Amino acid sequence: MLEKLMDIDRRIIFILVVLAVIIPTLLPINLPISVSAPTRQLHDYINALPAGSTIMLAFDYGPASLAELNPMAKALLKQCFDKDVRVIGITLAPEGTAMGSTLIQEIADETGAIDGEDYVFLGYRPGEELVILGMGSDIASVFETDYNGKPLADIPMMTNVTNYDQISLLIDLASGSSTEIWITYANVRYNLQIAAGVTGVIISQMYPYLQTGQLIGLISGIAGAAEYETLLDAPAKGILWINIESFVHLLIAGLVVIGNIAFFVQRRKEE
Amino acid sequence: MRRQVPLILCFVFGVVMMLTQFSPHSFSQGIYEEVLSWALIISPFMLVLGTVTLIQTHVARIRRRTEHWQYSFIIFAGILLMVVIGIPFGPQHPIFVWLFNNVQVPMDATMFSLLAFFIASAAYRAFRARTFEASLLLVTALIVMLGNVPIGDLFWNTVLSGLPWDNGLSDTKQWILDNPNLSARRGIILGVSLGAISQSIRILLGIERSYLGGGD
Repeated sequence: MLEKLMDIDRRIIFILVVLAVIIPTLLPINLPISVSAPTRQLHDYINALPAGSTIMLAFDYGPASLAELNPMAKALLKQCFDKDVRVIGITLAPEGTAMGSTLIQEIADETGAIDGEDYVFLGYRPGEELVILGMGSDIASVFETDYNGKPLADIPMMTNVTNYDQISLLIDLASGSSTEIWITYANVRYNLQIAAGVTGVIISQMYPYLQTGQLIGLISGIAGAAEYETLLDAPAKGILWINIESFVHLLIAGLVVIGNIAFFVQRRKEE
Repeated sequence: MRRQVPLILCFVFGVVMMLTQFSPHSFSQGIYEEVLSWALIISPFMLVLGTVTLIQTHVARIRRRTEHWQYSFIIFAGILLMVVIGIPFGPQHPIFVWLFNNVQVPMDATMFSLLAFFIASAAYRAFRARTFEASLLLVTALIVMLGNVPIGDLFWNTVLSGLPWDNGLSDTKQWILDNPNLSARRGIILGVSLGAISQSIRILLGIERSYLGGGD
């Protein structure tokens, strides 16, 4: 029995994972969400920005990470547009262009934000560090036009924005090491305020920067997205998906505990 | 000479760019801006280089008939299709956007989603408390995993409601991230940074030449 349990067919585990995803998706479950301090810090920072401020939102991720990062991008855009904070969207990842432009357009349609006045999407340029450094001197020297090909000089919200001096905050939505690059080049050299929204696997890397104040806030994975939606009182996919993820985590924890009980019982028998 | 010229260029530009960081003088900053503009122009060629290398690699695979060589044709078909639509019509052309949203996004998302199944299976089989260190890792992982989702605190606040504090799991998770994790990460960052500085000096001085390719 124990041997069978320890050598369980992995297809059974796969079926359990499928059930742990499907059942909470179908049932209306609303688990209580407590908001962590780093998420609240970012929310409060944006809330405190005066109307007409400009922030930069970097979509530095690809489709593999959209499940975690799209909900936080939507929540951030909604908060900014509702607060009349202008948004400059960019990406250091080539795959980020299609996702970034679509997301901004989608939230702009919902909130009535106007292209060129409330937001602009600049798109992608290769050369990560060079793009960050170049924009510190002059954004137009790196992005002569926006993603639609319109010259920056013809975009109303860009008339008074030349470099990071006019940007109140950069939020990096990242699935890799881009946040560290932004901190190294934009925060250290140009003193640009930076916050991040990152996938679950890189949360732990961000904590040294939170402690030093180089990150003024952090949204951590899908849990962070759910926390942000809770703060905005705008439940969306973040809250739905954290409920589902809860059951998958519970399943994995349960499997680990069962596996260890079986392991210890078998080892005692062998002794 | 083929090696000396790149080494001299690397040394001169490296030292000059380093010196510009210490001088706010307009001449120094002018050089910095100029070199930055050059670099921004040169950087798109990295994409060309990457594409050429990818094509060379897969041509070699097809020639040598290595395992699964047939799949290399799918790479070429994918590149060709996106280039044929993307270059003349731009990345906002409906067909380009459709291909991205309906081919690349589902494929990437599927690849990443598969991890959930493999992690569940691997955790069940391999996560055993065989030693003290493994037990410590296991307990920490369980706390962080459950503390990171709302069901962890729900469990704590209902099943363990007799305890004197609420949200114990998420608080403990936060303490782990704020203290042991932060300390270890900072150590890693310091080590990596010192290594990067030392490697940069070796490259500037021409001691480290592997970036030139070939032997040596």
